[in-house]
Amino acid sequence: MGYLNNSIVTVDAILTRKGRELLARNDGSFRITQFALADDEIDYTMWDPDNPLGSAYYGQAIDNMPLLEAFPDETQAMKYLLTTLPRGTSKLPIIDVGYQVISLYQGASIAITPQTLNYLGGTQTFESSGYVATIGDVRLMSNFNGVGINTAQATSLNSTATLGASVSKTVVGTTINMTATTVNVLFPTGVDQLTTSLIIVGRDSGARVVIPVQLNKNTNC
Amino acid sequence: MSFKRLDPEDFLVSADSIISPAWSDYETFLVYPNLYKSLTQQNSDSGQYYLNVYSTDPTVNPNAEIQFATTYGDASGLGQALYNSSVSGSSPTRTVYGQFVNLLLGEDEGASFNFGGPSANNEYFWAIVVDRARYKQSIVPGNFQIQLRGTDWLDIFITDNSRITPTVDYTPAGRRYTLGSGSFGDGVMPAGSTEGVYGYLYPDVGIIVLNCAAVATTDPAFQPIFRSFDANENAPDKLRERIYGIFLQSQETVASDFVFCRARNAEFNYSVNPSFSVSASAGSILYNDFIQNPVTYITSVGMYNDNNELLAVAKLSKPLKKDFTKEALIRVKLDF
Repeated sequence: MGYLNNSIVTVDAILTRKGRELLARNDGSFRITQFALADDEIDYTMWDPDNPLGSAYYGQAIDNMPLLEAFPDETQAMKYLLTTLPRGTSKLPIIDVGYQVISLYQGASIAITPQTLNYLGGTQTFESSGYVATIGDVRLMSNFNGVGINTAQATSLNSTATLGASVSKTVVGTTINMTATTVNVLFPTGVDQLTTSLIIVGRDSGARVVIPVQLNKNTNC
Repeated sequence: MSFKRLDPEDFLVSADSIISPAWSDYETFLVYPNLYKSLTQQNSDSGQYYLNVYSTDPTVNPNAEIQFATTYGDASGLGQALYNSSVSGSSPTRTVYGQFVNLLLGEDEGASFNFGGPSANNEYFWAIVVDRARYKQSIVPGNFQIQLRGTDWLDIFITDNSRITPTVDYTPAGRRYTLGSGSFGDGVMPAGSTEGVYGYLYPDVGIIVLNCAAVATTDPAFQPIFRSFDANENAPDKLRERIYGIFLQSQETVASDFVFCRARNAEFNYSVNPSFSVSASAGSILYNDFIQNPVTYITSVGMYNDNNELLAVAKLSKPLKKDFTKEALIRVKLDF
């Protein structure tokens, strides 16, 4: 007779930079209400459906792989979310924003309206819950907000900012508005271009896309 | 759907008591000769009131950490030079006496310590003030012992009475245990003691008060001062020199938030990981078997607020396999 394995997995969490920022803000925004699961670091091409030892060994190369510790940078953690889709799904949702790279000059604006491909049988849809957009370094934008989702949380999120630090900012909307900063002092001497990243995640599908953002200095000013 | 809302019953707040060695470098026993002082501090203004004690030599190691401070309080102001020679009895030792009366007895400066000796009011004491970072929230009674070295290496062992006394005295400074002769919580006063108890342990404020008169009855070497108004009496340093070792453990209560994340059998079976599809731009799933029987691996759990901002993240030690036949329950611990 053996014991049944009734153990649960216990893991220690660390606060992200954003978590610390919201905790310090002390305005109730640090309130965990939902969770997501991710499979960062997993390379599914290592799954071997031809393994001669049988199906129990298909995942042999993945099952016991060591994992890195969690990163406190919220833009580097939870990159690839696991998502709930109907059984039989053959194509995964993909976010299309129409840009491979966003390149802006100081003071220039752009509006991005993401769409989701392959989601719930549709070839091209706008997710009803909207999109979460995170800019890696909020200092590069004088305006970064989302419109189209009019919940109290989204409105609050779009109207708050942390000044002075190189932190990310997250907004929610169906359209994301960005205006590049005109502040010159962000550019080190001899540097005419700053880069960061824009991460867009579908709130329904979990699909994610990362777009490089380039801020170009107006050298003729 | 990638984000799953948590229910109220998915949260649990638990407070755990953590006991650990008090001294630096995870040491429980701080022992001679690792009881260093800083001559700079001793000769400064603060040296008139207390003496910091380090576990490493602060003149050699600039990062030496203070372990505790010794001090001496005297109701008559003896043991230090007077602030003003024309004002009788007013000296740093008198200030320390009043400070500890106020802190530990919760009374005004006119009150006195009572160690149970014949005079009822005790006029002078030594005190050990443990550094806050060392005792954290409180000293663990019963795991405390101080060893004082007397003449000809005849030591006395002083400990609290927490293991032999069923009741605890509560004072304005929190719990108070009586100090006596013994080891690790079974302290009793030697038969025939005429000067009261050896002192008190105040674990909640990290202070040990020693009744000099009672300690000195065992050996005159423990007499703190020659009872003069001399700045060179150095009563705090005399205590440091007499300490051979101190056992001490710290205690703190850490509040932890547990969040139970449940992945049902039909949830989280697909991934937006680029390697899960043949081509990231087309989205076609990598293997035909994955269309009906997808397999994913959980490596990370993210905690989000209503705005989908990632507040905390946890990583598993190894990937956790998930498919339509499996459910996962992950307990995430958040410490504050």
